Amino acid sequence: MNETVSKLVNELQAIVGEGNATDDLAICTSYSRDQHWHFVPAKNPAYVVRPGTKEEVRSVLMLANKHKIPVIPYSTGINVRGLTIPVHDGSILLDLSRMNRILEINPEMKTATVEPGVTFGMLLEQTRKHKLRPAFPDAPLTVSVLANYYLRGIYQTSATDGHDHTISYEMILPNGEILKTGSRALSEMPYFRYGVGPDFAGMFCAHPGTCGVVTELTAKLYRLYDNRKEYFIGFDDVGTPTAFIYNLMHDELAASIRLVDNQSWLEGIFGTFDYAYDKLPKFVVCVLVEGVDSIFKAKDKLVRKYINESSGQILELPAEFARTFEDESLGGAEKSCMVFGLPGKGNYHCIGLYGPLTLAARYYEVHEKTALEVGIPKDHIHFYIDPIYSFHGQLCYFELDVFYDGSDAGFGEKLRNYNDKQFHRLLDIGIYGWFRPYAGIIEPTAERIGYLAEVWKKFLHVLDPNEIMNRGKLF
Amino acid sequence: MYMKLKREEILSAIHHCVKCKLCSIASFHPNAEWLPLCPSGQYYGYQAFYAPGKMEIFRAILEGEITEPSDGLLNAVYACTVCGACYEKCKQITNVELGAPDLFEEMRSELASKGWILDAHKSIVDKIKETKNAYGEKYEYKAETTDQNADVMYYIGCTARYRVPEIADAMLGIFDKLGLKYQVMGEEWCCGSVLFRTGQVKAAKELVAHNIEEIRKSGAKTVIFTCPGCLKTFKKNYPDMGVELVHSTQFLTRLGNMNLKKENLKAAYHDPCHLGRDLGIYEEPRAVLSEVANIKKMKREKKQAWCCGSGGGVKSAFDDFALWSAAERLKEVKEAGAEALVSACPFCKRNLKEAAENEELEVYDVVELVNRCLEG
Repeated sequence: MNETVSKLVNELQAIVGEGNATDDLAICTSYSRDQHWHFVPAKNPAYVVRPGTKEEVRSVLMLANKHKIPVIPYSTGINVRGLTIPVHDGSILLDLSRMNRILEINPEMKTATVEPGVTFGMLLEQTRKHKLRPAFPDAPLTVSVLANYYLRGIYQTSATDGHDHTISYEMILPNGEILKTGSRALSEMPYFRYGVGPDFAGMFCAHPGTCGVVTELTAKLYRLYDNRKEYFIGFDDVGTPTAFIYNLMHDELAASIRLVDNQSWLEGIFGTFDYAYDKLPKFVVCVLVEGVDSIFKAKDKLVRKYINESSGQILELPAEFARTFEDESLGGAEKSCMVFGLPGKGNYHCIGLYGPLTLAARYYEVHEKTALEVGIPKDHIHFYIDPIYSFHGQLCYFELDVFYDGSDAGFGEKLRNYNDKQFHRLLDIGIYGWFRPYAGIIEPTAERIGYLAEVWKKFLHVLDPNEIMNRGKLF
Repeated sequence: MYMKLKREEILSAIHHCVKCKLCSIASFHPNAEWLPLCPSGQYYGYQAFYAPGKMEIFRAILEGEITEPSDGLLNAVYACTVCGACYEKCKQITNVELGAPDLFEEMRSELASKGWILDAHKSIVDKIKETKNAYGEKYEYKAETTDQNADVMYYIGCTARYRVPEIADAMLGIFDKLGLKYQVMGEEWCCGSVLFRTGQVKAAKELVAHNIEEIRKSGAKTVIFTCPGCLKTFKKNYPDMGVELVHSTQFLTRLGNMNLKKENLKAAYHDPCHLGRDLGIYEEPRAVLSEVANIKKMKREKKQAWCCGSGGGVKSAFDDFALWSAAERLKEVKEAGAEALVSACPFCKRNLKEAAENEELEVYDVVELVNRCLEG
């Protein structure tokens, strides 16, 4: 070990304490892979640092900036798409999980302010005391609220929540400057996204740790209602239920509307592997209605009317399935993670994208076509749609899934071939955007966005001229 | 007996972990509460101390990326009680084919084969070689067979003999009060649990052979254990001896009405990992305890019980961590409104009692309460 490297550990330990910074190979190795390892190979950070305060984050960033050392921000350790796997040698992995305070829950403002290590489970535990909840991603409730909102800020499990949950945040740049967005920049009231000038919160979002480190974020909370009712309606194809989904979305009737295939996400939504899913129609639309008393009744009546008009099959299912669906949709994904453990599979690959409901059948068609072309068996091809209020542009989240045996290296090769074709095909059909950018998907996309890609790169250069922030994950 | 896992089998299991980390918390939706499950990860914080991180370390060892025994490696691998809570949680949402405890014990065996062992664990081998018990104690715990032809043998175990003898005293007291004849081994050697759990498998062979021979010679049909660690080791790591192996609480449950005088005691029951998660024995200890005390339910129990912190070689090598884990459990006991904490394992009792030294909380093994409530 050379002197500079050895000295750096000492300097990092001087900032965060001896027990919170290390260059130990085994400790660093534990951060070397995520579930995307067929696409982003294992690589160790050279150092792992666990700051406990924003002042420590700032000092670490300034030190790294001075020495031009790559920094990878990491929140609670449930990472996907290789976004926290180092690209460069000598990187510092900034593990922010110690910063796990809920700084404020403000029921009057319907907001929560959190640090990076706060998970959806931790936050819901507190917000439900006020009959409030955060908007949930389709990710384990062990994931970071802050990192997920900052990465995109659009979530799906409850359609009602819409697509913007981030209000404002504080970010520390590599040079140690602190940026505050929205009303947070002006006052101690961080409750309004559009404070002064451009929507900086939006501009800094969806950069996977490539601008700076977000140390606290204020997000919207949503109401939990007592009145709830669930419906499960079966269809044999993707196209037919779109009219039904359109009606529900147009009239803003249901809290959660999820079209899933019967062999993957439905198992998680129902919370059991032990059911004859193959006896159900191939696609199931899961609908959850909620609301205040008479409003709830009126909505429910209309939902039933649309169900009857839908030509779908109303499924009679065990009562506990409805309860699990409620929990997963309005309380965070836990059993839904059963998709990670489908029999004979055990890993997942997905392309998540936003697009209009009008293209649902085409997305599914090209998903199936490309998968079959590269040799992915039909029973590994899965799909779901989550429409999102307020439904302008018929906005939906689509997930093109392949659940597979992660230990099968040959399958990994098939998936890489799938990606090579599919990214281009989806861009050719037309999408609103990817769920979030990552290495591999950004390159074919950047080619198509003209001067915007150049501006984007220049923007990053202004914030991070020494290019220390998670470089290689975007450009 | 100990079966070495195949490399492909291990890597397959590792590759199937998608690192959702749901294994680190108790089931959330039933209570909507954030309740950590992994003592090691919760205490040390680095990813290396959670199951997904440990799996990456094992992968790197097998693939030759880690070739030296750093402090971080030894801590991450051995500062884990191998309590199996992560596996129980994982099983709920996956079809995982290989349990994390098996995987982590295999990793320890791999490390031990390279000589990468903690000094504290090496010294246990030396102590056992010299004294045939894991604590290196030279004195004898006094226990005598009451009938050479008794069908029942009580295997006392090192911890009840040399660290918490009140448990052995209580078990023997129960036998006597109930007028049951029993045998104890003339020369009881350590069962080898600590060696199996810390990867030092070879050193356990002699112990296994000796204890098998002692049981064979005794002619006993049933061997009773107050230590779930010993029971698990006999069941999992010993060959089938054609004798029945039961935990004290299973034995007591079978006896039926013992005319116990129930006490007005609010007691929380702590599930020992080896008894619960490893052997699936959850109901018998509760049944016995309910005869002598009023059970107060804790939030994390049965398959999702929080470990006491002392197993897997942790107590001997990482005592601060062991006591922290126990103290976390004590908080839960108080929250449940209990005035006593009752377990069914000498290892649990020892660590929990030590952590409760300055607390107004009694810590018992269930057999102690039974003995106390039995008409003499």
